[in-house]
Amino acid sequence: MNSELLEMMPIKSDGDIVRIRRRTRDLSKAQGFKLADVTRVVTAASELARNIYHYAQEGTVHCYALTEGRRKGIKLVFEDKGPGIEDIELVMEEGYSTGNSMGLGLPGAKRLVDKITIESEMGNGTKVEIIKWM
Amino acid sequence: MDEQIALLNIKDILVVIVPSDPHDETITMLQEDVLEALQKNASNGVILDISTVEIMDSFFARTLMETSMMIKLMGGVTVIAGMQPSVAITTIELGLNFGDIVTVLDVDSSLEYLKDLL
Repeated sequence: MNSELLEMMPIKSDGDIVRIRRRTRDLSKAQGFKLADVTRVVTAASELARNIYHYAQEGTVHCYALTEGRRKGIKLVFEDKGPGIEDIELVMEEGYSTGNSMGLGLPGAKRLVDKITIESEMGNGTKVEIIKWM
Repeated sequence: MDEQIALLNIKDILVVIVPSDPHDETITMLQEDVLEALQKNASNGVILDISTVEIMDSFFARTLMETSMMIKLMGGVTVIAGMQPSVAITTIELGLNFGDIVTVLDVDSSLEYLKDLL
């Protein structure tokens, strides 16, 4: 699998969430995704960027273009140095939330993409990687 | 332009043009503006026009649902109009549940619906 870094964006304000939605929309359109898939990728990006803004205050997202044979895709990696997730299985359960939300962020994002990988260490931050293939 | 909240009064109905790609802050402000306008104009029905919205994540959807419940508490009826197909797909896949909120294809249909109801 070949992966090429397209862009890195900081997440530290409300406005950055909007910017990430716009850029991930442009990037996934440029990759050739159809509208429904663009919407899935951007919605997942919005959930994950907001998670960082709410729980870790700041972080980054790296956007990659993927190619594997003739298959094309997009990968987004969200990283923060926030408090970390104590029990990843628990937060992947629908409706679980420590904040004032419906707890749909991570499980919701999972359903919108082909693959989600979460790494987290208490006190050291969290890394969430999502991949969507065309 | 994406952040503009437009509130129009048509007889006793409040039409709200929801911005296409709003900041979280704008979404929160929208809720307050709508409730204040509802009281000020003594509207009976509220149409939330989301036809330009291309992305609706759980925060955005939750705020709209809450707004509709608050409108109900104040004695009004809410209709959500014009959800785009791709938004309908992601809304269901995300696991959002709009419950018993009335949704219609466009603003025209919502005026018809409210006219019959009110």
